Amino acid sequence: MKQNFKVALAQISCHKGDKKANIQKIEDYVERARRQGAELVIFPELSLTGYILRDELYGLAEKIPGQSTIAVEKIARKYGTYIVFGMPELSEKAQATLYNTAVLIGPKGYIGKYRKMYLPTHSVFEEKRYFRQGYQAEAFETELGKLGLIICYDIFFPEVSRLIRLEGAQLIICISASPAVRRTFFETLTVARAIENTSFLAYVNLVGIEDGLQFWGGSRLIGPNGKVIAAAKYDEEDLVIGEINYAEIGPIEAFVPTLRDLRAELFDKLKEKTEKL
Amino acid sequence: MPNPISNKGRTLKLTQNALDLNWEEVKTKITRFIRDYVEKSKAKGIVLGLSGGVDSSTAAALSAMAIGGNKVLGLMLPERETYSPKDLKHAELVAEKFGIKTEKIDITPALEALEKTIPVFDPEDKLCKGNLKARIRMLYLYYYANKLNLIVCGSSDKSETMIGYFTKWGDVAADISPLMDLYKTQVRKLAEYIGVPDEIVEKPPSPMLWPGQTAEEEIGIKYETLDLILYGLEHFMKTEEIADQLGLQKDLVEKVKRRWQMMEHKRRMPLTTKIQYRTVGFDFRLPFT
Repeated sequence: MKQNFKVALAQISCHKGDKKANIQKIEDYVERARRQGAELVIFPELSLTGYILRDELYGLAEKIPGQSTIAVEKIARKYGTYIVFGMPELSEKAQATLYNTAVLIGPKGYIGKYRKMYLPTHSVFEEKRYFRQGYQAEAFETELGKLGLIICYDIFFPEVSRLIRLEGAQLIICISASPAVRRTFFETLTVARAIENTSFLAYVNLVGIEDGLQFWGGSRLIGPNGKVIAAAKYDEEDLVIGEINYAEIGPIEAFVPTLRDLRAELFDKLKEKTEKL
Repeated sequence: MPNPISNKGRTLKLTQNALDLNWEEVKTKITRFIRDYVEKSKAKGIVLGLSGGVDSSTAAALSAMAIGGNKVLGLMLPERETYSPKDLKHAELVAEKFGIKTEKIDITPALEALEKTIPVFDPEDKLCKGNLKARIRMLYLYYYANKLNLIVCGSSDKSETMIGYFTKWGDVAADISPLMDLYKTQVRKLAEYIGVPDEIVEKPPSPMLWPGQTAEEEIGIKYETLDLILYGLEHFMKTEEIADQLGLQKDLVEKVKRRWQMMEHKRRMPLTTKIQYRTVGFDFRLPFT
């Protein structure tokens, strides 16, 4: 397993509902990122299709693995990279049951997927109308260490990141489609999740305007001490590369030993209080 | 120990500060939105009504900043009853300052011809007649839009939209309404920030549906107060709390609230009744752009 590698934050805007055009964009960004030495290229939430699709989601969702993941596998093989991107997933066992899913693909092909656990359905968001929630936090063994995936609103719930950290993930990847009015929340929470888990965190947000919503970008790679290693522009497409060195985690973990100090008995209380909220 | 359920000390403070925004950011967001919409719709530019008032001046200025004044056409559409050389001068001032093309068309002949063909036309009913003017202006804007492949940019603000102070299918009719999430007093601040001349920003707003009409007199409250009431309602505040904080009669706040709720019919597609599988306005949900 590599201790040291470069990760690319591919902050793109999407062609609404045009998977072919978006896969082409994924390839363009992967090619550019690879030239700069990146071994992992991360794209935003639902970057295969765009975020606001409403009823069109039913026609766009695919099974995983499926046609689109196969197309992205080809790109990963061609450039020898790991790729994370988001797409609407059609359940293997049903005909109109969808998930908001992050997919991890490696140089040797499909590795795994994570289905968003927390689906925002308030304010401008209507995800529960279309998606079924996932039930499983996911972290995957790779040559680049164990990679944990979360999606956007999941970051407001520290237990999701904590779970994948406890699975052994040293890099938490959060793909996102966050509109501008929520920028300060994410700028705070991304740093918080990195610090409290003493892990690296890569946040990749969408840009562009969909249905009047302006996505703010601001993708960033954060170190286990909360330091921003690389940051993309606000509001515009951008590709930034940051370097991860897992060896940095050890000293921080000793300095802020949140994992050592984790108290299991509190989680029973959390469960009890949450049920009675 | 404080009562955790009590609202005391937990409500928003209704002061002018609550309405303060980062105007540079607002300007950037709106111009980006306009540019993006025009590009995605593959239109050649924008047409809008230019009345000389603060809303249309601001919408015009932002359109020019977004796509270039040479792609923005401002239509000045005066008519005899409300003819105001001062307003026309203001419209020209804005057009000149932001490099917008203009065309002036007197709508009086069209208005009078139309009035003659309406058997129930009542010259004394100034509201119905006024609405006719707003709707005729809409016809001109959409003719230009169709003919020249332009987007109609509306200039409705959030205050008017919330209380329904506009003509249904009239002045509100547009393809995009970039100011619709800004209260009137916020539009004034933005106007000032982007350099709309002071004399336009400061003059009392009027829809100009009949001579001497001013918005604040007709609505019965100054915009400074109305906007704070609406801001409170937007943030789910109770009418008692709003009235208390602003030192107003609760009845007045209730009246504004009722007006806001009753006017939903002016803000949406016409209501239908559900008969089939997916229905326009109910569960036929498609993305816009």
